[in-house]
Amino acid sequence: MRFEEEMRNILGADASLAPPGSPGGEELPASRPGASAPGDVPVYSISAVARMLDVPVATLRTWEDRYGQVVPARNASGHRLFTRSQVEQLRFVRAQMSQGASAADGHRLLAERVAGGGPLADSPPRPAPRLLIQLAEADPYAAEFEEYFLKTEGFEVEVTLTEDAAREAFAAAAPAVVIVEVLISGGTGLELCRFFRQQDGVAIVVVSAVEAMDAAIDAGADAFLRKPLDPLQLVSTVRDLLRSSALVAGRSRR
Amino acid sequence: MNDSRLSSGHQPLDEVLGGGLPGNGISIITGLPGSGKTIIAQQYAFRNARPDRPVVYFSTLSEPLEKIIRFGQTLEFFDAAAVGRSVFYEDLGQVASRDGLTGVGDHLASALKQRRPGLVIIDSFKALRALADDDAAFRAFLHQLAGRLTAFPAASLWVGEYEPGEAATAPEFAVADAIVDLTVVPLGQREKRFLHVRKLRGSGFLSGRHGYRLTHQGLRLFPRLADTPAADGYQLGGHRTTTGLPGLDAMLDGGLWPGSATLVTGPSGSGKTIMGLHFIYGGAAHGERGIIATFQENATQLNRTLSSLGWPAANPAVEIMYRSPVDIYIDEWVHELLESVERTQARRVVIDSLLDLQLASIEETRFREFMYSLAQRLSRQGITLLSTYETPGLPGDGRLPEFALSYLADNVITLAYHRDHGAMSRTLAVTKARASRHDAAIRPFIISADGISLNGGHPAPGRPDQS
Repeated sequence: MRFEEEMRNILGADASLAPPGSPGGEELPASRPGASAPGDVPVYSISAVARMLDVPVATLRTWEDRYGQVVPARNASGHRLFTRSQVEQLRFVRAQMSQGASAADGHRLLAERVAGGGPLADSPPRPAPRLLIQLAEADPYAAEFEEYFLKTEGFEVEVTLTEDAAREAFAAAAPAVVIVEVLISGGTGLELCRFFRQQDGVAIVVVSAVEAMDAAIDAGADAFLRKPLDPLQLVSTVRDLLRSSALVAGRSRR
Repeated sequence: MNDSRLSSGHQPLDEVLGGGLPGNGISIITGLPGSGKTIIAQQYAFRNARPDRPVVYFSTLSEPLEKIIRFGQTLEFFDAAAVGRSVFYEDLGQVASRDGLTGVGDHLASALKQRRPGLVIIDSFKALRALADDDAAFRAFLHQLAGRLTAFPAASLWVGEYEPGEAATAPEFAVADAIVDLTVVPLGQREKRFLHVRKLRGSGFLSGRHGYRLTHQGLRLFPRLADTPAADGYQLGGHRTTTGLPGLDAMLDGGLWPGSATLVTGPSGSGKTIMGLHFIYGGAAHGERGIIATFQENATQLNRTLSSLGWPAANPAVEIMYRSPVDIYIDEWVHELLESVERTQARRVVIDSLLDLQLASIEETRFREFMYSLAQRLSRQGITLLSTYETPGLPGDGRLPEFALSYLADNVITLAYHRDHGAMSRTLAVTKARASRHDAAIRPFIISADGISLNGGHPAPGRPDQS
């Protein structure tokens, strides 16, 4: 139950994050999906990063202000958006700290590692356990590929193609991650996202062919991916969101 | 990634396509056999081959895979080391004849899953239509294939020997994001190749027909020169510059305006080429570099003419660009000319003659647009142009080519022969001079060892002298 309390704290902190329309996007490098490598695309909300790393949102913001080393981009309404490589960098800092380093030392070591071009992860990521991923897709062809790539990585996959089927399957099977297409059932994906957000600890990835990053994050998504989905990016986003063992524990409702 | 473009590796082609083919879209390349469809497809294949996002090249029922590969090896960009690593060739023909369109669709889907390609090429796509029992079955196959390709982040290139006009009726053109036509146009005894972008969703492109050649480096494209009028309009420089003939300068109220275009017309042998040489060497004597772009005389012939006039053939301020008038693409030629202009910082250009360019153009309107664009390009840079144009040699036939009267020429100088008591004599007249008071007299001249010399003159009959 300690985890769920923390979750509530995190979500509360997230809700009071930057007020809508607050400035801050202009001076930051506005890397948008489209030009960069998958690792450089801003994908994750600060609450998703907080859960992945088990670091409170307020701490992440303090680190950003104090060390200025991992600086996320901002969306139009001022919300922070982290890239995959930024999550890796913060994970590195976290690992240094768990070995007794201070946050300042952790950032200093990160700066050295980044400047030296060395790899951030010392060991390859653990193979994902057989967790359930639910697809709430609108496009059967996209669902076919998403199912295939996630299954190849060892996940269980439940495919749903309408809003009703998605709600039903979610209630029955307790997925660890839901992937929601904005256009499901004619465009109720964001509504569905808000509904899932109210449930315990499920990670939500919103996907769409239209650039709906802001709307998705506002609706409580942990990550947004633009279609067509790159197989590697899809799989690594799901893996990242599942990396926190606390999250996995939190979703074990059975 | 979503709005990315697929490069051909050949910059002019990417420019014509507004940056490249759609990186996540379906593009169709059409053309009759021999137009170079497979060459262009292989060009895209090797340019975009990456081990993590490979290219899958499917042959279908029209050409054996082995033939495509064997021919591919004659192309310089073919990289044998990439085959099997980042370029995979697969034969869809067997699947197609065994399992029909359903088998083809399933095979393509599993290739997408297993290879995770960045580019899928189907050559020939048109051949797949023969596998469908009817139109409805083919449309259903297309719908499914387009759905799968859209859901996957890969570009797709469908190559087909479609007839002109099929684009309006064949259903595959409706799902395509880009359509590029390769056409072969007969011109006299020769053929000219043109590339034409028919459709490109979500992007601008250079319209019209662009000439190309097929070489061992692949398709070499010559984007159509088509300059829009300069916003600041037409500007003539402040000080007049010499024609190289003091007598003619006097007739033109002091010479030519820098950046102006002058047309010298007359029958064969009337002295047009020599007038062009006076213009270039006269300019060189005043420190203005020049280019002689000629189809008429090669370097040897030109040197002979020059030495007979006592001008040194090797003048560092003069560059001679000779091209055979046989099999030229006007846009290839003009890009070479503009490149020479930039490299040499030339202030003067002679084109000898426009007739050669006109004959190499597939249509009159294109020739006019081309000449207009070239004149604009040079004028904007203050480069003075003198072009020759051959007219029928009938004495007294003063008719000018239609374009001479238009914006293409600021000045027109007409050379003619006259029968004078049994002997031939030559005359010169300024028949048009924009923004100049000019001497409208018809003046006799002679061509001697020193070149052209103007004698006195008599006023043009029936025309008041304007000077």
